[in-house]
Amino acid sequence: MHETDIHDLSDDADYAAASSKYCWTMWSLFVKLLRLDVLRLGPNPAGLLGSSSMTRNDSSKRSSSSDPEDAEVVYLKDNVTIHPTQYASERVSGRLRLIKQGSSLFMTWIPYKGQGSNARLSERDKNLYTIKAVPFSEIQSICRHSPTIGWQYVIVVLSSGLAFPSLYFYSGGVREFLATVKQHVHIVRSSENANVFLVNNFEDPLQRTLSSLELPRSLANGTPSSSFRGSSSDGNQETQEDSVSSVQRNNRQRQKSHDPARDLSIQVLEKFSLVTRFARETTSQLFRESLVDGHGPTEKRKNNWASKENQHQEAALNDVETVPDLVPVAPDPLEFDKLTLVWGQPRQHPLGPEEWSTFLDSEGRVVDPNALKKRIFYGGVEHNLRKEVWPFLLGYYAYESTYAERQYAVSVKKLEYKTIKNQWQSISPEQGKRFTKFRERKGLIEKDVVRTDRSLSFYEGDDNPNVRLMHDILLTYSFYNFDLGYCQGMSDLLSPLLFILRDESEAFWCFVSLMERLGPNFNRDQNGMHAQLFALSKLVELLDSPLHNYFKQNDCLNYFFCFRWILIQFKRQKRSENLLREFEYDKTLRLWEVLWTHYPSEHLHLYVCIAILKRHRVKIMGEQMDFDTLLKFINELSGQIDLDPVLRDAEALCVCAGENGAASIPRGLHLRCPSRMAPCTNSKTTRCCEK
Amino acid sequence: MASRRRMLLKVIILGDSGVGKTSLMNQYVNRKFSNQYKATIGADFLTKEVQFEDRLFTLQIWDTAGQERFQSLGVAFYRGADCCVLVHDVNVMKSFDSLNNWREEFLIQASPADPENFPFVVLGNKVDVDGGNSRVVSEKKAKAWCASKGNIPYFETSAKEGLNVEAAFECIARNALKNEPEEEIYLPDTIDVANARQQKSSGCEC
Repeated sequence: MHETDIHDLSDDADYAAASSKYCWTMWSLFVKLLRLDVLRLGPNPAGLLGSSSMTRNDSSKRSSSSDPEDAEVVYLKDNVTIHPTQYASERVSGRLRLIKQGSSLFMTWIPYKGQGSNARLSERDKNLYTIKAVPFSEIQSICRHSPTIGWQYVIVVLSSGLAFPSLYFYSGGVREFLATVKQHVHIVRSSENANVFLVNNFEDPLQRTLSSLELPRSLANGTPSSSFRGSSSDGNQETQEDSVSSVQRNNRQRQKSHDPARDLSIQVLEKFSLVTRFARETTSQLFRESLVDGHGPTEKRKNNWASKENQHQEAALNDVETVPDLVPVAPDPLEFDKLTLVWGQPRQHPLGPEEWSTFLDSEGRVVDPNALKKRIFYGGVEHNLRKEVWPFLLGYYAYESTYAERQYAVSVKKLEYKTIKNQWQSISPEQGKRFTKFRERKGLIEKDVVRTDRSLSFYEGDDNPNVRLMHDILLTYSFYNFDLGYCQGMSDLLSPLLFILRDESEAFWCFVSLMERLGPNFNRDQNGMHAQLFALSKLVELLDSPLHNYFKQNDCLNYFFCFRWILIQFKRQKRSENLLREFEYDKTLRLWEVLWTHYPSEHLHLYVCIAILKRHRVKIMGEQMDFDTLLKFINELSGQIDLDPVLRDAEALCVCAGENGAASIPRGLHLRCPSRMAPCTNSKTTRCCEK
Repeated sequence: MASRRRMLLKVIILGDSGVGKTSLMNQYVNRKFSNQYKATIGADFLTKEVQFEDRLFTLQIWDTAGQERFQSLGVAFYRGADCCVLVHDVNVMKSFDSLNNWREEFLIQASPADPENFPFVVLGNKVDVDGGNSRVVSEKKAKAWCASKGNIPYFETSAKEGLNVEAAFECIARNALKNEPEEEIYLPDTIDVANARQQKSSGCEC
């Protein structure tokens, strides 16, 4: 069963087909719908929740009755499990049900409470995944997967373009599930893929897309209440009934103009508002507590003093933003500059060889990995020391390994690399002719390495051997991780590693480690990036709601303008006429090593995004940038990041967001630092930093 | 200050990785060619002012990532497109075979109001390579495909040598213009609020 652990959808052609064709088509619509709903309701989504809370009262009355309005469970399956991450310990099992009510069919999936194997997930985490009575009118397709090894699973894709996590049927029953669905709703097999079942597919997809844009303008502005939110965290049967009736009530309200996307946006808004609300409350609380706990009165005074002193500096930094004739901009709710000074600590000089030796014991073990990470977070590493330190940061060397162990492991890994490399080197031209996937990958890599950082002296010139090495490493990686293969952007991530490590095998293994962290961003279905951008939007909402609202109003909520930042980790994509200066390259290396410390968060890159956005918020909102202008503006910013202040800001934001920040980030995004060489306690230490 | 509203025409360039999308765009907008473009991550665009029959337009040309894996991002960038340019490398058969996929993907993701008549233009690029000796996609073959898809205009280009690039983009702009005939709104000088935003995007040319 181990295979299923690493079975990933990335290479699943039929899933990719289903998701790229439908999910993504719909994603922007979903964002649009969301925005429209919000506009109709005003800034406070409580109105939406109001109607739900009224239904809750209804249902609590009804719950005593054994027959709530003819709701009938027509299908029930236990041990239907989702795999939020690739780790077996984080799977969540639950009960899948199909419920027939009137002429409508609903699907629910409720995780079991207090299940032993779910120990790693908190109840709240689990409830994030709860599927609360989704009517089939909102479901666009169901994709069935029958991997050769492992359990059958289905992916339910909503007409909004979102998909629920894959549902693994541990006790079988997929066929029965589909048969039951078929009895009650109109489903047809996709002509393109026999494993895709289209629900409610009456028209051709283009028409459907267009018609779903024409939203009815009806929505009840109920009395504001938050009681529904409370109930949703119970995650038991009552919740499910609640939502069945709430959905049903909505059905009644909107029978004239059927609007499949609205309920979904209600749910999403609910989640948004959930995050924001307790974020607001606890952020301010946190702020107070931290001041009291973390800093004594003297320190507080010092900070005040420091804040005055630094105001000039800050003002100078913000010069970029002072643009004439701007539209008035809502002030930053966090009084950001002050926060930075409270939490963002001064940056230090980079770690040098002498200081580095103090972190090691006589046999070469890193005595206190956390102290080392913290030190590097605040100052980075001197250029010449990077070759030695980076493999630790990336998780390739175990912190507790000795010099001798590392030396041995490096030689073993070198052989292993050769073995994998030989897999593609031994492909004869004849064999290659019959190996399209190999030829395509090779072609793609060849095209990309010759246009990666070529203006850097290390890679410049015709027939540069380092370009060749980059090619070999990437092709070897695409065999090492055949499911992920090669994807554009990878060469950008590899290039600095080879530049620093100057060794093919070392660069390869460090790249492998890096891809353990960033690999999901390159998934075929782009779900990894989707999750990153979604987390980013939640964090911005948490930390700068006026900016979030601005993006919402300007249809920028998909945050695609940050795509490049995240995929290639803020590396600048230069046009050839501007030569890449070593200085600028060095800045990227500094940022990366700081991000790799995972101190104070493994998601620091998201906070860096926000720090940069916040530095330009006045310009963005004042100039009323639309999506296009924003994308252009942000693309141009890569590589021009004023590193130290941005990192200070990012740190402050991260501390400020605290647990709420962590709660905003989908579980699947949580990363581990795996150790390639030896068992190590990295995962534990990373978690410790995340406080 | 022009007394009429300047129109924004949005053009999307699609095609397999390495067929020369970025180069074509840069050749047209900046009249420059370089061997050292980077693989485009995500998307980017350049703008250029064009004049037709005494009217000024801003052509916004979107350059997108060519790897299939990134197609799903299209939805964010394709919307509101007025014309779609499909590029292949005449020396690589697969890049020509992919045109159909790019076209269909575009129609699905951009969801234009009238998919049947949405303007496409096909460019067969890199005709300069090896004096044409390594060419595998003939003009005839490309034209036949274009004809089968509702007479899509076809151009053979070399971004490197600037061959036919200007003519191709002029056709692209005209077709884009055809796509939105109602937008010919004339505005007096005084109410120029809507204009300000459009001009801004033309301002960040680089």
